[in-house]
Formats: sequence, structure tokens, C-alpha cells
Amino acid sequence: MTAIDLTAAKPVVRRRVELDPRLVMALPSLAFMSLVFAFPLALLMAKSFQGPDGLTLAGYNRILGDAYYRGVIWDSLTLACRVTLITLLFGYPAAYALTRAKGGFQLIMFALVFLPLTVSIIVKTFGLTIMFRREGILNWLLLNTGLLDAPVRFVFTEMSLVIGMVNVFLPFLILPLYSVMRMLDARYLDAAATLGTSPLNTFRRVFLPLTMPGVIAGSSIVFALSVAAYVTPGLLIGERYMTMSMVMAKAFLNFRDYQLGSAMACIMLAIALVIVFLSSFLTRNLEARGR
Amino acid sequence: MSALTAATEASVPKAAAAHLRIRQLGKRFGSNTVLRDLALSVEQGEFVSLLGPSGCGKTTLLRLIAGLMLPDTGTITIGDRDLTRTPPHKRNVGVVFQNYALFPHLTVAENVGFGLRNRKMAAAERKRRVAEALELVRMQEFAERSVTVLSGGQQQRIAVARAIVVEPAILLLDEPFSALDRKLRETMQIELRHILRNLGITSIFVTHDQDEALVMSDRIAVMNQGQIEHFGPPGDIYTNPKSLFVLEFVGQSTRLPGKVLQTITGRVEVETPLGHIRAPGSYLPGSRVVVAARPEAITLGEGPAGEFNTIKATLTDIVYLGAKTQLHFHGAAQDEAIQVDVARLPIGGLAPGAELSLRWRIADTMLFPAP
Repeated sequence: MTAIDLTAAKPVVRRRVELDPRLVMALPSLAFMSLVFAFPLALLMAKSFQGPDGLTLAGYNRILGDAYYRGVIWDSLTLACRVTLITLLFGYPAAYALTRAKGGFQLIMFALVFLPLTVSIIVKTFGLTIMFRREGILNWLLLNTGLLDAPVRFVFTEMSLVIGMVNVFLPFLILPLYSVMRMLDARYLDAAATLGTSPLNTFRRVFLPLTMPGVIAGSSIVFALSVAAYVTPGLLIGERYMTMSMVMAKAFLNFRDYQLGSAMACIMLAIALVIVFLSSFLTRNLEARGR
Repeated sequence: MSALTAATEASVPKAAAAHLRIRQLGKRFGSNTVLRDLALSVEQGEFVSLLGPSGCGKTTLLRLIAGLMLPDTGTITIGDRDLTRTPPHKRNVGVVFQNYALFPHLTVAENVGFGLRNRKMAAAERKRRVAEALELVRMQEFAERSVTVLSGGQQQRIAVARAIVVEPAILLLDEPFSALDRKLRETMQIELRHILRNLGITSIFVTHDQDEALVMSDRIAVMNQGQIEHFGPPGDIYTNPKSLFVLEFVGQSTRLPGKVLQTITGRVEVETPLGHIRAPGSYLPGSRVVVAARPEAITLGEGPAGEFNTIKATLTDIVYLGAKTQLHFHGAAQDEAIQVDVARLPIGGLAPGAELSLRWRIADTMLFPAP
């Protein structure tokens, strides 16, 4: 005991490194992520600037200078926009219904939102292809209800792609929205009503602005997922509608053109970063207004 | 005439007819009956408190009046409009919520002007009314601030301004002081009473705090288990409670259970563990009753037997409370608690353990049937 006390009294021992406990908690995941994510990413970025004779922007030039690849970027972005908007259109009322539902009904609705997440995207997408076939259930339904005279081709159309992506990404919008809506104090709505505000105006002037952070969070997740989607477009439409991730995959897997592939990957990364910054900027702006 | 201009004219003539009339109101949640056959009439410009313990149905009653809930039975009329089934946004009933429920995404001025936007009104007129309301609650300089930076007392002022700027037919306040600390609460009570009296606005105020109810109200409705047990002016509630519940809920008292011996000329003689006590009233001999007296009605020493009840009791505790001193006694059986409030201790002081005589007027003795 005395020996320990003596060493503790020495100034050398007291000058040990003070570790911030928060840093210690973050350290394992930080180490893991830098090894498996940051390091390969840095390699990828380095590759995108690599030419036969040193540093070059040729990879980016080939993409941004080419009308075809610009079209691919544009198509990917507009596709993501359409998917996000339609998801929002379906997801917002669904999240609201989920907030208001009670007891067993809420349980069933939760299951409807959660269960699709447990099914692999590939299974879901193949399911959709079966449904969309010429002799699939959708055509059968439309023909038998007399809405159509002849079967319509759904497979490999943009419509099927959008429907498929909305189907896959809907839960990612509903869940953040639901948590924001559930936290909203119902007294704000009561207060608006007692001030003579009609239900529609209460929604427009109170409910919508106060759930905006959820809208931003949910739609940026869906947008980011849609821009980067690979499996769903690949299975539902294939090369008829080229997206950035398909170009990237093709460059790596088929052409072995690492310069093109990694440049495309970096452009996608830049887009993702813009989304992240934009959404956190918007949320912070909203919060600043709230404060 | 706008309610806000009425403020400057101070006096508002009171209409004789009831402004708010509630009849046979009933509300149940599942098997739990929250309100039963409740009736209440409030006059124009009156300030009424709904006082009761939590779970007595006072907040439910408030929500029913506001239309935030619909009753199972009964009617609610304001003026000559039957509002029983009217949705809240068509009722013109203002509410100040417990935690104020100010819209966090709007500024102070936008909050106050929120209700005015539902009416066709020129922007300049709206702006003028908002400024007027803010001036009334002395918050003019905060107009452009965000409401989330305000203190509790300031938020309350804004909540009041927001509710009264639309000139509601009636103003409902749901425990508006419960979030404030004691000192601020007392200031705000006086200030709010002043503002609402000057506006002449009919107000109904929910509280579980008896002091608050006594300070604020023209009349108090003491509620218990979904019914109003006593509706009357504060003085009447305190000195002449209609039931044992009202006596126990409002203020303090000494209560002695006993059995009626006889009733002679409007005066009952009751046998209690502390001797025979007389009280005004009339009961059949043998009835089980409770006699009670307020602590400040009891004084030390004996009095003439024709006018006073006198008992002997042992002093157990002296509690100094500043303006008054509480003396706690018990009787011979040690289980009757007697509380006496005195302005100051007698010369020479008192020592716990002393057996003393206590007296109070027969007229000040209250009598209730035993529960």
C-alpha cells in the first residue's frame, strides 16, 4: 500500500494521458470505420485522379464532358427526385395515421411498415417483376375489371422502376416522420383550434411546419438511397435506364476501367455530401427559427 | 366594441342572465365516469374557479367547454348559442393552456396574431390589435422575439395575450400558474386578475390550489368525483362549506366525530371524545356527525358557556410560521388532532405538554353528517 502511495505522489505518474471518456466510447467504431471505409475510400479517390502519367482529371473529364454520362447523372437525380416526392406523398399521411392509430390497429400498421424491411430487396424486387409480368396479377386485375382491353407492358418500364423504388424506400421515410409526429404536443393543435383555426389551416400553419424536420430527415434518407440504388434499378429496368451506380458497376466489372468507375463513385459521394449538408443546414435553420 | 378598448373604460355592465350555462353534463371514459349530471351557471364577466383534487373532472369540464372533447350527455350554452356539438374552432372560446402551448416556430407577435389571421382583417388592423394586446400584458418590446427564449412568466403573458386578442366569449385557464415559482405566481395572479376584470371577460379557471382559487375568484366551484359539491363566493366556501369534503379541501380545520344527544331550538348537542360540543343545526338524536372548527376560530382560555364551546387539550407542538403560529393539541385519548392558529403567543410563552382550555363560538362550529 505504502509503495503505491509513494509512486502516486511522484509527478511523473500524475502526468498520464487524460482520455476523454466520449473519445474512448467512439474509438472502436472509429477504428473499424477508418479501416474498412475511410481507407478504401481514400484509395478509390486516389484512383480517380490516377492517369498513365501521374495525376490527371481525365476521369472526371470523360464523365462531365460527355453528354451521355451527363444524361446518366441527370436521369439518376430526376429519378431520385420523383421517388422522393412520391414516397413523401404516400409516407406523410401514412406516418400521420400511424401516430393516430390505437391498440391492435397500430400494431398491424407497424407490422406493415416494418416487415418489408426484413425482406431482402432482391426478393421484393423479383416479387414485383412477377406481379408486373404480361400474365401477372396486375394485368389480370386490370383486364378482368375491364379497365384495359389488352395487357400492358409494365416490366422494364420507368413506371415499374419508380413503383419498385417507392415500395423499397417507403419505410425509411415513414419511420423518422413518425417519431417527429409522435413527439408533437397535441396541445399545439388544441390551441390552434381554440383560436378559431379550421382543421385544414391548423394542419397548414401548425402541424406541417412543426413536422418539417421529419420531412427533411426522411426525404434526404430516401433521396440518398435512391440516387445510389443499384439492385432495384438493375433488376426492374436493367440497362434501359442507366443510373450512376450502374455506370460505376459496369466500369468496374465489365470494362475494368477503374479511372471511370472511381471518378463516378467520387461524383456520387459529392452528391451524397451535398444532400447531408443541405439537410442539416435546413434542419438547423428550422430549429434556429424555433429557438 | 372590442374587448381591448373596453379595457380602457374599466367598468363593464354585468348582464343579469347567465352567460355560460351547463346542464346535466356527463362524460365517461370506458367504465370510468368522469363527470356526472353536472350543472353550472356563470354570469357575464364573472371569474369562476373550478377547484378540486386531481382526477375530480375539472380539466375534463374545461375541455368540454372548449369543445376539445364532446360530452356523453347534457348541454353547454354560451349566451344564447347551444355549443354542445360545435367544433372548437367555431366556439369562440379562448384557452390558456397549462404549459401555454405557444407555437415554437413563430415569434411572439405571430403567436399573438395567430387567431386574428382566421378573420378577414387588414394587416394594419391586425398589427394594431397585436400591439394593443402585447401592451396589455406589458410585453411590447418582445414582439419580434422567438417564444422559446421567454421565461415562464413571459410565456404566460403571451399565452394570455394570444387568447384574449380574438375577443373570446369566454376565457378558460387550465392551471396557468402551476409552472411558475411561488413568488412569480403570486404576482401573476394579481396581475392577471386585474387584466381580466378590466376586460370584463367571463373567465373559468381550473386549479387544485385553494389559495389561488381564493385569490382569483368571484365564485369557486369545488369539485369532487365528477360533481360540483359547493358553488359560491370564496368567503362562503371557507366559512360555510356544504360538505365535509369542501371543509377538508379548502383550508384547515379541527374535526371531531360524535353522536347527537339532542336538538334544542336550532342547536345540536353532540357527544364527542372531548366532551359535549354544541353547534347550530338540527339532527335526530343518535345521528353520527362530525363537528368542526377553523383554526383561527379557536382561542386559548375559557369562555361563557352560553356562547362558547370549551374543551381541555394537551399542547403537543408549536409551529412558528411568521405571520401566525400554529398550535397543535391532542385530547385525552391522544388521537384527536386539534389545530389552533394564533397571531402571537401569550405573554410568558407556552410549553408543549401543558394542558390548556380552548374555546370557540357555538356559531363558528360547523356540523356535517358522518361519512
